[in-house]
Amino acid sequence: MMSCYLLDTLERLHSHLARVYQIVQPLEDVGQSAPPLVSPKGYFFAEQENLFVFDGECFRETLPQPPPFVLFGVQSCDLTAIAYQDQFFARDPYYQARRQQALLVGIDCVTPCEHGFCASVDAGPGVKAGCADLILHARPEGGWMLMVCSDKGGEAIRGMELDQMDDTELRARDRRIDDCIAAFPDDSHLHRGIAAISQGRVPDQQWQQLGIQCLGCSGCTTLCPTCSCYGTRDLSEDQGDIRRQRFWDSCLYESFQREASQHNPSEEAGERVRRFWTHKFGDNFAKTFGRYGCVGCGRCEQTCPGVIGVHSVMRRIADYAPDDDV
Amino acid sequence: MVSQTTTTICPFCGVGCGLNLHTEDDRLISVTPQLDHPVSRGQLCSKGWSSAYGVDLRGRILHPLIRTPRGFRQASWDEALTTIGEALQQVLNEDGPMAVGIISSARATNEDNYAAQKLARAVLKTNNIDHCARICHSPTVAGLKQTLGSGAMTNSAADIFETDLIVVFGADPTENHAILGGHIMRAHLAGTKLIVVDPRRTRLAKLADMHLQLKPGSNIALINALIKTILDNHWQDSEYIEARCEGLVPLAAAVANAYDGVERTTGIDLETIREMARAYSKASRAMIFYGMGITQYVSGTNNVIALSNLALVCGQIGRPGTGINPLRGQNNVQGACDMGCLPNVYPGYQAVADLAARDKFSHAWKTALPEQPGLTSLGMSKAALDGSFRALILFGEDPVITDPDQNQERLALSKLDLLVVAELTMTDTARMADVVLPAASFAEKSGTFTNCERRVQHVRQALPPPGEARGDWQWLAAIARQLGSDQLDWSDSEAVFREMAALTPSYSAMSYPHIDEHCGLQWPCSAETPDGTAVLHSNSFPIGRARLIPVHPTEIDESADAEYPLLLTTNRLHFHYGCGSMTRKSPLLEREIPPGLLFINPADARDLGILHRAPVGVRSRRGYLETCAMVSEDLPPGLVSMPYHFREAPSNQLTNNAQDPVTKMPELKACAVAVEPLPPGRVPRSMDQLNAEQGGIER
Ligand code: SF4
Ligand code: SF4
Ligand code: SF4
Repeated sequence: MMSCYLLDTLERLHSHLARVYQIVQPLEDVGQSAPPLVSPKGYFFAEQENLFVFDGECFRETLPQPPPFVLFGVQSCDLTAIAYQDQFFARDPYYQARRQQALLVGIDCVTPCEHGFCASVDAGPGVKAGCADLILHARPEGGWMLMVCSDKGGEAIRGMELDQMDDTELRARDRRIDDCIAAFPDDSHLHRGIAAISQGRVPDQQWQQLGIQCLGCSGCTTLCPTCSCYGTRDLSEDQGDIRRQRFWDSCLYESFQREASQHNPSEEAGERVRRFWTHKFGDNFAKTFGRYGCVGCGRCEQTCPGVIGVHSVMRRIADYAPDDDV
Repeated sequence: MVSQTTTTICPFCGVGCGLNLHTEDDRLISVTPQLDHPVSRGQLCSKGWSSAYGVDLRGRILHPLIRTPRGFRQASWDEALTTIGEALQQVLNEDGPMAVGIISSARATNEDNYAAQKLARAVLKTNNIDHCARICHSPTVAGLKQTLGSGAMTNSAADIFETDLIVVFGADPTENHAILGGHIMRAHLAGTKLIVVDPRRTRLAKLADMHLQLKPGSNIALINALIKTILDNHWQDSEYIEARCEGLVPLAAAVANAYDGVERTTGIDLETIREMARAYSKASRAMIFYGMGITQYVSGTNNVIALSNLALVCGQIGRPGTGINPLRGQNNVQGACDMGCLPNVYPGYQAVADLAARDKFSHAWKTALPEQPGLTSLGMSKAALDGSFRALILFGEDPVITDPDQNQERLALSKLDLLVVAELTMTDTARMADVVLPAASFAEKSGTFTNCERRVQHVRQALPPPGEARGDWQWLAAIARQLGSDQLDWSDSEAVFREMAALTPSYSAMSYPHIDEHCGLQWPCSAETPDGTAVLHSNSFPIGRARLIPVHPTEIDESADAEYPLLLTTNRLHFHYGCGSMTRKSPLLEREIPPGLLFINPADARDLGILHRAPVGVRSRRGYLETCAMVSEDLPPGLVSMPYHFREAPSNQLTNNAQDPVTKMPELKACAVAVEPLPPGRVPRSMDQLNAEQGGIER
């Protein structure tokens, strides 16, 4: 059972945590309804980073050594995505070097955001206990509920002298989250679309039609909090060193899977679009990761110049869903 | 660790999307779109997303370089400027101001371009100033200036969502202006009718309600037939023509026989022509977008006039959701033109030939100005070949890669006594320079860009210039000082802008704070329209009444024949830009270069025995290159296409230098070639290899 405290102002928590942690606040305003334009994945999985340097004889490690930091005020969709990435990068030393240093402070959403649908994919709007160290919840009557959901979280607020709150408060929080869920717009196209994809019912021709619209901009994969593909390259440095760098890649690029022989199993844009959405909503992925790859943040809808973000795609393929799945 | 976010404008194309640059300790770490930008609304194309790689310090020129017999050596700014100053002075003394000139850059800021033309006119005393619009949209300026009085996009990007019909004529906006192309897709999906006229099956053509796959170079034949259909059926907007246009009678007479042979010339049947004529004339609001499929022909100016005729007879200019809208390529080609980086006009298109305009600038700059009209960039190359043009300052352009007929261009540049090139990285053109100057990138300077919808936007410095690099107007000012002039001694970019705005009527009510307040201002922005103008020509045209001017079809200069049986056209790929000197620094975009660059129809490929991705040689009357073939249904039989960004296989080895008589625009969109398969498994030789092996020009 989580312990729950009353916090009068965010500043108090801020300044307490700042004694140990560098504070990073991805949101302009903690408590705003929309998630930030950019997901927080880059704090752990850097957009460009060095893997090692080879000086002709030895390899030099270039593991990052960040100071302890706190991501202050992360919404449930993004926290669910971090939990997903934690699995994906479980044995990646670069990711883990940053992740180990981080304290996650979640913030519950109580109003739906424009393109979001976390509730439809079990990723919000209330922060799940397993996804954060601390959770904040704005009380309509003023002040904040502060829930502690890990030892690390408990450790972080030690010495703050906060009043404990009782179950009625936690029940009130649940009610407000339920109200928020009820306020999301109709999501039947999502459920039908997911059914169509996970059961492989969308014909190739439909994917090809959608593929025409993909400009290969990489916007969706850059902003998507669960996308984790990367490429590597070796750069020669001035002193003759070779630096291996990895950088975010995008499976929507034509060349993503092109082989040295020029053979390319996904030369067709439709095939790449299909692959992207199968990774987000395919049953195989759900089995591996315990959930779908999409956390409902809606960023791809907002940023796709080709008008094939999540809602647009799901509306176009919803009709392929089996009838009993409405 | 100091993290900062700087809002600025994408440096890659005329859409002018809003970018946030995120820096950490003076290093650019990532780029994100601006959510509240009026055009891009939180979106970017692949070039915008990758712009962090473009300013990466690897490969950047960090110090001035001077050519020696053994290659370049590093020099101080003092030494470089002394060398430039002495050489310029010598040429000026010996051959006068017509022997020197400047080619400025449609990638540079308005401030840089204003400084470049002022250096040419007020200090070097020559009108030899030009920029690359010559190879993109000079026919637009020349054509629309005659018919409407202004050569810019008449409407705004936002109008895409306020129209009933979009006609995309010889343009590939999802590749070249991706975010606008995306807007067109979005509007179309929401019910706006879409007609695409293009020899190639472009992305939009695949989605459109109608695709007219006309034969290259038959634009006027088609447009005249459309106008004839409209007039024959009385679908024109007579009230509008009566009130706002002149010249209907001669136009009607000129199109009277437009059906003769039109199906054969264009490859489009009359029924389709009729359908398009009806759709366009009957739409309550219809918007035309066009691109280089209109301008890059010997008939470029007339093509533009023909389109303007079509829009005018249907009354489709002057209201929201209508208009004739050139899609200009580079991020600031509109601004470079506005700033007077053209041999015949001062800033704001005030004619050099007009005595009053000359007096105005002469008075403002307190110096006598040259009367003699200047040379275009191609004119400078020609004059260099015969020795009458001897010193050139050039920046932000790589004409050796992007100009038609590379071999001529190389020869011309090699004849110069002095070639000064300011660049970010060693381009092919910079390699030919006598002095190379290290330039600052868009992220390292401040100023303004003017996007294709005439929106003047603020570019803000996010990083210090690396090494000894300087912004363009700053080194231009240093050259002026070297020649004993303080004409370019401004305190900062804002001071340049203030001087320019005071002399440029369409910019006169603009200032940096006013631009910031409005997220950019669209010109004309003057006392009458202090917040800018979204739609041009609402009540009247700058020339009073618009002119309908009869134009007749001109055949392309070089048709396919027995020896060169295929027609080659050029295209662009959305993930590359210009000569690729910035975009190719991204490992992702570099990888996106297709395995082959010659796009060919399956039937032609079969006839020639060419397999998908197999090596081929391509020859025209002017040159030869090797690449691999991409077999694609997007090309009709008889037509092949190549993108022009790639130095390995530059299509400009092949293209024709025949020019539009008005603007000297070369015919880049059509020339005759022969394609032959190379032995299977052979790796195509790059241009450098071919040159080394064969001593260049001949195979
Ligand atoms: S697929 Fe789209 S909505 Fe789902 S997590 Fe990724 S960006 Fe968010
Ligand atoms: S955002 Fe849209 S256009 Fe861009 S890569 Fe993703 S699906 Fe393609
Ligand atoms: S559309 Fe043009 S301005 Fe926008 S991101 Fe792409 S290149 Fe930059």
